[in-house]
Amino acid sequence: MQVIIGLVMLSFFSIMPGKILAADIAGTSRTYMQSRETAAGDNLLPLYEYLDFSVKNLGKANISVHFGGWLGYDLRDDSFGNNKDKGSDLQYGYVSYRAKENNAVVNLGRVMVFEGVAAERIDGIYARTDIKGGFGISAFGGSPVETGTDSPGNNIIYGGRVSHQKVGLYTIGLSYLKEEKNSTTFREEEGIDLWLRPVNKVELMGRSSYNGETKGWMENTYYLVLGPFDKLRFNTEASWINYADYFAGATTNVFRMTPGGPLDPNEKVNSLGEEVVYAINKNWAVSADYKAYGYDIAGSASYYGAKATYMMPKSFNAGLSLHKMDGDTDRLKYDEYRVYASKKFDKIDVAVDLLDVKYKKSINDVTNAYSATIAAGYELKHNLKLGLDVVYAKNPDFDKDVRVFAKAIYSFDAGSGSHAPQDKPKEGK
Amino acid sequence: MRATIITLMVLLLLPVLVLALYAPAAAAGTAIKHPMEVEVPALCSQCHEDWRGALDHTAEFGKFRHRFMAQQNKQACDVCHVESFCSDCHAHKEYLKPSDKFADSPERALPHRGDYLNQHKIDGKINPASCMKCHGRQNNERCSVCHK
Repeated sequence: MQVIIGLVMLSFFSIMPGKILAADIAGTSRTYMQSRETAAGDNLLPLYEYLDFSVKNLGKANISVHFGGWLGYDLRDDSFGNNKDKGSDLQYGYVSYRAKENNAVVNLGRVMVFEGVAAERIDGIYARTDIKGGFGISAFGGSPVETGTDSPGNNIIYGGRVSHQKVGLYTIGLSYLKEEKNSTTFREEEGIDLWLRPVNKVELMGRSSYNGETKGWMENTYYLVLGPFDKLRFNTEASWINYADYFAGATTNVFRMTPGGPLDPNEKVNSLGEEVVYAINKNWAVSADYKAYGYDIAGSASYYGAKATYMMPKSFNAGLSLHKMDGDTDRLKYDEYRVYASKKFDKIDVAVDLLDVKYKKSINDVTNAYSATIAAGYELKHNLKLGLDVVYAKNPDFDKDVRVFAKAIYSFDAGSGSHAPQDKPKEGK
Repeated sequence: MRATIITLMVLLLLPVLVLALYAPAAAAGTAIKHPMEVEVPALCSQCHEDWRGALDHTAEFGKFRHRFMAQQNKQACDVCHVESFCSDCHAHKEYLKPSDKFADSPERALPHRGDYLNQHKIDGKINPASCMKCHGRQNNERCSVCHK
């Protein structure tokens, strides 16, 4: 229904002569068809239509409309359960006001909110603005949009963020979020986010978040980037996660930490990783990385390896990587190899990706899992691209898994052309 | 209780709304669109010598850094990216694979490469928090097929 509304909106805007409706419409239609087999042996042939578009310069230049949604239908079996029409979703759909000053934004409808601890979809309202003295504030409220939840309806979410920045030196923010399900607190999160660039080529960013419901720190994650110094760049990551606090607000059963489930609520993981990247020249780069994991229950693990890449922008890129995971548990003992390459010939692009994982201890009698992907695209017109991907895999779940994926991507842009350059999307932009 | 929450929500939203709509200009806004098309991968530091150079889309940007940038300064993302760029991963999408997004950029680690059905069991043991961002409250129908 939601997507139908979008299609009707799009048709309406499309047939209106430009002079009558002085608006710019740009978007993308993506039609996908996939053939695959499930682990249970069912053959699926789902067909998807993803549509996104934005309408800008609606009367006043600072008002716009944004829509993204999809429909799915299985041509052969039941990808979407017994109800074939079940596969659909309105990803976002809102009216937006954006001022030229203060980075002021007001979005109304099904909106996406990324503010400190909040990375949400809500049916409601979101507003933000910069104010004097380098301060900024934002707030949002409405009904949370979630999938796989057993508490539908009567839900409410709200929160906000206050920030201060000195442009180019730091931004620090304090954020808050509360979600109620049937008048009971489901989530209450508070967070501090930081970006700091004390001197050129030194940059620290990260976030700490606290679960006000479980009364514990959910996450402390910080990332330090040093460089580039001539040809060297250093990336350091440090993270602490407490499972009981971090996953308390999940709607997915796998994260719910039920007794005997895949996650132990008493587990905590900390990780410290370092990556050193050396750009040999404009095309070649090599890197080495090491990451140490420490678990309260599962012991420890080390993941380390190296990578070499070759890149010619818009033409060719290739890479090779070798990694080893060495952990205390059987699942965390394996070697990982990867080779990939992509090449663009005029209107054709081809990509190949090979992944191989060798387990130290077999899983379902398989010690070597691999997949090979070949993807090819052809630019039929400047705004129409066709593509076909084939994936072949062997792993502990499938002796032979072949997946075929066909797609047609059509981008449209009608109006004065005042959209951002990337509004005329190539694939995945 | 519910009335109290709604009151709190309105009290929180109202001042921000009023300020966003009526506050006098205190700061110049981020550009609404980038003045020229940017080559992929976007290496902002090639032109910008100030803090904007920190937005360089180097290999680890998608995996690690983008989340910190977006949570603080999404309007900078909006200069080049349309909303669907975020929603591809962070809103409910039934099918998302390299064949759909970044098919011509196999060097990227995300979206998941190859056949991820088996590898997810291993990655989930290493750090399940990395799954939570996209699958904790969204995109989880496939999870519930097995994890009932």
